[in-house]
Amino acid sequence: MARSRKDWSPDQADEWTIHDLLACILSVLAYMLVAIGTAGALLLQAWGFVALIGGIVSVVLMYWVIDPKLRAMSAAFAKRQDEFLKHVDKTTRWEH
Amino acid sequence: MTQDLALVTFTALDWLWVIVFILVMIACGVIFYRLGKRSESEFFLAGRGLPWWLPATSIYATHTATDTPMWITGVIYKYGMRGIWFTFFCAWCSVSAFISTRIFRRSLAMSQAEWQNLRYSGLGSELLRGWLAGWQTFMNMFVLAWVSAAMGKVGTYLFGWPHWVGLITFTAICAIYVLSAGYWGVIMSDFQQGVIAFIMINLVCCWGIYEAGGPTAIVDKLQVLGQSWRLNPFHFDEEFPLPWFLTLFLMATVGGLGMGNFIDWYPEAQRIQSAKTVRDASYCIWAGGFITLIRNGFWIPAILAFYVMFPNITASKQYEVGWFRLGFEYLPVGMIGAFFAGILAIHLSTISSHLNLGALYATRDLYHHYINPKATERQLVQVARLNTFLLLIGCFVLGLTMRSITEWLIFALWLQAAGIWIPSILQVVWWRFNSWGYLSAWIANLVMSWLVVWVLPAYGVIPKLPEYQQFWLLAALVALVYVPVTLLTKPDDMKHLVQYYVMARPLGWWGPVRREAIQRGLITAGEAASRGVGNGAIA
Repeated sequence: MARSRKDWSPDQADEWTIHDLLACILSVLAYMLVAIGTAGALLLQAWGFVALIGGIVSVVLMYWVIDPKLRAMSAAFAKRQDEFLKHVDKTTRWEH
Repeated sequence: MTQDLALVTFTALDWLWVIVFILVMIACGVIFYRLGKRSESEFFLAGRGLPWWLPATSIYATHTATDTPMWITGVIYKYGMRGIWFTFFCAWCSVSAFISTRIFRRSLAMSQAEWQNLRYSGLGSELLRGWLAGWQTFMNMFVLAWVSAAMGKVGTYLFGWPHWVGLITFTAICAIYVLSAGYWGVIMSDFQQGVIAFIMINLVCCWGIYEAGGPTAIVDKLQVLGQSWRLNPFHFDEEFPLPWFLTLFLMATVGGLGMGNFIDWYPEAQRIQSAKTVRDASYCIWAGGFITLIRNGFWIPAILAFYVMFPNITASKQYEVGWFRLGFEYLPVGMIGAFFAGILAIHLSTISSHLNLGALYATRDLYHHYINPKATERQLVQVARLNTFLLLIGCFVLGLTMRSITEWLIFALWLQAAGIWIPSILQVVWWRFNSWGYLSAWIANLVMSWLVVWVLPAYGVIPKLPEYQQFWLLAALVALVYVPVTLLTKPDDMKHLVQYYVMARPLGWWGPVRREAIQRGLITAGEAASRGVGNGAIA
């Protein structure tokens, strides 16, 4: 579980890292397992409960891996958002 | 209170559920009227200040349209539990949440058409923006007409109403709060509609399972019928081969890297930008897709319950209404109205989203961008309301004239999905992919999809291919056009690309642009030293 870290600086969080890839893999796994797990569990199939638990564990791991990074990146971006909005307005103008 | 010629008989309690629900929805428009009229950004994005759970509920509500129960019932009845993979396309949200959603939210584009202006430069970018704005305005009106027509059919089926009554009444009620409060009305009513729809869908599913004798009885009956393979989500045979599963899986998951490769991307892009922060945007997309798949997980055993109760239906039109039958034929007296309110919730959430979204493209990308760039906020809100009204009228006219359109709608969606699936990813991950490449992919896709799906099989040039083979054939044929076009035309303006890169920080092959940004001092090399948004030096 060395892939989790809490001490992201905003600058570091802007970069794409292995944490993003891990979050995507865990996220896809969670989607798959919870979808088939819900169906299987409602039909009282043992594999359904196993899949459902696996899906929930995947969600928790995904959150653990990616949330500190998302927080750091979001906070820094939010501070500059108004300035960026003016830039977007200027860049996308038809008269530009 | 009963209806002649009606399939369903409503009691006073049933009507009470429906009337209370409609009044609550209209109240949304009244309560949020003042917020919606403040500016274009408020009318279309709720001021970009929503916590993740509000747009997440809206995403779930939008992913649940009036025809969704029929479509999912159809694939599960036909294919068993493995039919879940046809519904798995919403898993694009699982990858997008951490890739394309993040990039799109950081771009701050109000719409996907506006994003084309940020990502690309020059004439090609303007052509793309105009094309996408026009296409989306029309597609939203088309979807509105189609969903309203479906509600007209539901009204006829349940109550014996003339077709136009169901078509116009509920869509017009929805327009009240969309016209008055804009996206604020959409998102607040979507929250209530999402919760109501989720509860009612799961309630009816559980009731259906109970009516079939419970989970164990369903499994036993499937075994007796020799249909126990229907319990296996990974059962592959000639009817559903492994390559088909892999295509559906790849389309959904890898598709999450791109922007605009699914029809759902466009409403979700609006929700992404309405989220308060990048983190809220990521979680809203992730949770919206996640709840949708949980809903599908409830639907599957209920439809298997319907299958063991009625195993010999061969006509798709009959088994596709299976889930509705579970609700209307088996729910206890007094709950039918709540079920109908749940169906209304599904309907209104789709209508409100597409009314506001169509008006967004017509207002922001056509009127504000091309016709009146100096429009005041007051003018923009007035035009937004006018466009909402015009979409409403257009959807009524189109809805009342269309009869059998499902096939056309599927084809229209297919047009968008197949040939531009890869280009929609490339425009996110590859700096060299330019506006001419993307534009040529759209045009080639329009031509190729007609050829592959309709014309060539009709003349016996190629056999009628299964959908997954059509998908890959279209992807390959369209690539024969956009790859040379991209490489034979100039890259986008480097200054423009650098500005986009510094702000959105896209993933993938952006090496030359990144190096240029470092050279210009906008970012610095190395993970720890990257300044990104911190310096704001992009003007």
